[in-house]
Amino acid sequence: MSDVALDVVQQVLNGFLFGSSYALIGIGFTMIFGVMDKLNLSFGVTALAGAYTGLLVFHLTRGPFVLVFATAVAAAGLLGLVVELMCFRWMPRDYPLAPLMATMGMLFFVDEVIAHATHGRPMAFPAPMGQVMMDLGPWLLRGAVMGALWFLVYKTRLGLATRAVSQQPVAAQLCGIALPRVNAAVFVITGMVGGVAGTLIGSAVGNLSPLLSLPLTVKGLVTAVLGGLGSVPGAVVAGLLLGVVEYEALYFFGIGYRDMVTYLLLFAFLVFRPGGLFGRGVRA
Amino acid sequence: MRHLARVTLHLLLLAALVVAVSGILAATPALAQERAVKIAGVGAMTGVIRGFGINSKAVFDMVVDEINEKGGIKLADGTRAKIVTTFVDERCNAEEGISVVRKLASEDWLVVIGPTCSNVAEPLFGILQRKVGDAGDTGLQFPIFTDTAIKPGLAKISEWSFRNVPHEPTMYNHLFKWLKEKHPDVKTVYGGVESDFAHSNANWGVMEAAAKAAGFEVLGVEKWLLNDTEFSTQVGKWRRAKPDVVAISSHPFTLCGTLREMKRQGVKPKLLVGLTSSATLETMAGCGPDAEGLIIPTGFAPVTPEAQRVAKIVATKYKGNVDLHSAAVYENMYVLKQIIETSGVEAKPGTVQQDRRRIREGLAKVKELQGLLGKVTRTDDRESVKPYVFAIAKNSDWAVLYDPR
Repeated sequence: MSDVALDVVQQVLNGFLFGSSYALIGIGFTMIFGVMDKLNLSFGVTALAGAYTGLLVFHLTRGPFVLVFATAVAAAGLLGLVVELMCFRWMPRDYPLAPLMATMGMLFFVDEVIAHATHGRPMAFPAPMGQVMMDLGPWLLRGAVMGALWFLVYKTRLGLATRAVSQQPVAAQLCGIALPRVNAAVFVITGMVGGVAGTLIGSAVGNLSPLLSLPLTVKGLVTAVLGGLGSVPGAVVAGLLLGVVEYEALYFFGIGYRDMVTYLLLFAFLVFRPGGLFGRGVRA
Repeated sequence: MRHLARVTLHLLLLAALVVAVSGILAATPALAQERAVKIAGVGAMTGVIRGFGINSKAVFDMVVDEINEKGGIKLADGTRAKIVTTFVDERCNAEEGISVVRKLASEDWLVVIGPTCSNVAEPLFGILQRKVGDAGDTGLQFPIFTDTAIKPGLAKISEWSFRNVPHEPTMYNHLFKWLKEKHPDVKTVYGGVESDFAHSNANWGVMEAAAKAAGFEVLGVEKWLLNDTEFSTQVGKWRRAKPDVVAISSHPFTLCGTLREMKRQGVKPKLLVGLTSSATLETMAGCGPDAEGLIIPTGFAPVTPEAQRVAKIVATKYKGNVDLHSAAVYENMYVLKQIIETSGVEAKPGTVQQDRRRIREGLAKVKELQGLLGKVTRTDDRESVKPYVFAIAKNSDWAVLYDPR
């Protein structure tokens, strides 16, 4: 096999590796949109904040990675609930833009809190399984989280309620499903998924920095749109696709063109397939 | 009745006392304000670059307290005035930086120290009057003495802009020449740069020119962005090229990412060279063990008694770090003190513009100043040539590899 062919294969594998992070972030965006028909722009930064909380516990206790991981997931889930309350439940319903702008405000607020707490400095993040397993471990964990999420959405009563709210909120309420409770549960679960993503990204990069929040948000949004807003399998496939496209673009065209190719892909999808890969189509 | 009169008298006395005390209290700051030397700091205090601003402010507070405790600054008429300060946030954003400096200029601040970021300094210097005395140029006539923004050549934009930052071309020319002498077997250099950050880009140009001038063959440069998190493609190209030296022009976050990826891929060049701005504790906090052997020329290291003293006070009392950027604040403040004391600054409400001009002229005349590492030479284009050392990352800390002073 020639060097170029080897590199292309390597880039595909790298793309899958990092694409799985995009997939997890994309799932967060897409699930909330699926249930509430609204975008939560603060999802990426709450994932990061969860990872920072895990890091704080690590610095305080010097405990094992599993403690860091559990703290990050729990904190991100809690933050998800805070976002649901502050940016959605308590927002006036007559102004559809209010929750969107509130989540944007939350994004910058949490970002700035992190920057203040850390002085904006990058902080070393512990690796879960040592250097050898770094390449495969996070990938397997991401796969496991996606599988668990699929089980939750399609095989449990909560998942059934979530899908019911997503498809027909009024009918779901008439059937006795408590809308606020389902919404809160979705925010907590997606927050926890974000916590997993934040922790694994921190481990893979080796550092946490407030610099991560905006790229996570943008890549998560692109993933959700490519996959089809509201579609969890779509977010998974789109995340992997986005990762591979980015890596191949970087290899063949360089850093100056990587993001151009990504956004051209997004543009092409919006023009030719606006519903995304697995989307429910464009609404009237 | 007599009791009532006594109470009334006491109340009147109390009222008189209150009026007198409040009069004194009101008059005291007015007097102080009248004879205060107002110096503003401008730096990044929010956002991801705020670590630089925090360190500059810590040194700023330390040196101002030190000067004020020693009696302040002597003015033209012989009276002594305290330094009054403010430190405003430019957020590493050009519009924000211009806006805050315009506001300071519209008030009675005499001079600014800052800003942090080169992408702020460049447009900011552009709104200053280009040539002193040009009646047709309505740019701000406000002296700015920069401590941190390091992109080469910025002070020449305006005659009101001055900088005391390390001269990177001098440092890197010397570093690569020295490396060639010490390691004659080392022949090739491969670069890496954060291509969307002004200073990193400019510095890669400096590194590349210095490496070529020293006789190295530059194999190429890999690029990434300031907030990138993954570097396997770029590091993979280094691995394949097998350069003797990898020269990385990037700030701590992506520097640490690339170093970690190098370790993961087993890329072990004979020498590793970094960006001046990464010779900080930030890099050690982010990736100390991965940075082992990284060599960076720096304008500050605690290698003189004075540098050690300042670094210790700033760390213990002001919770900041003295590094190659923030060290300049200390030097700048003592230069300003000397200029104010010798150039007829009056620090009166009616003399703000004259005082600013006096300070500018004083700064323009400075040919040499005492820095924390030794003598600093000033150039005709209002820049400094500062003493420096070559630092090396060793056991998750910085050590001096070579001291050319």
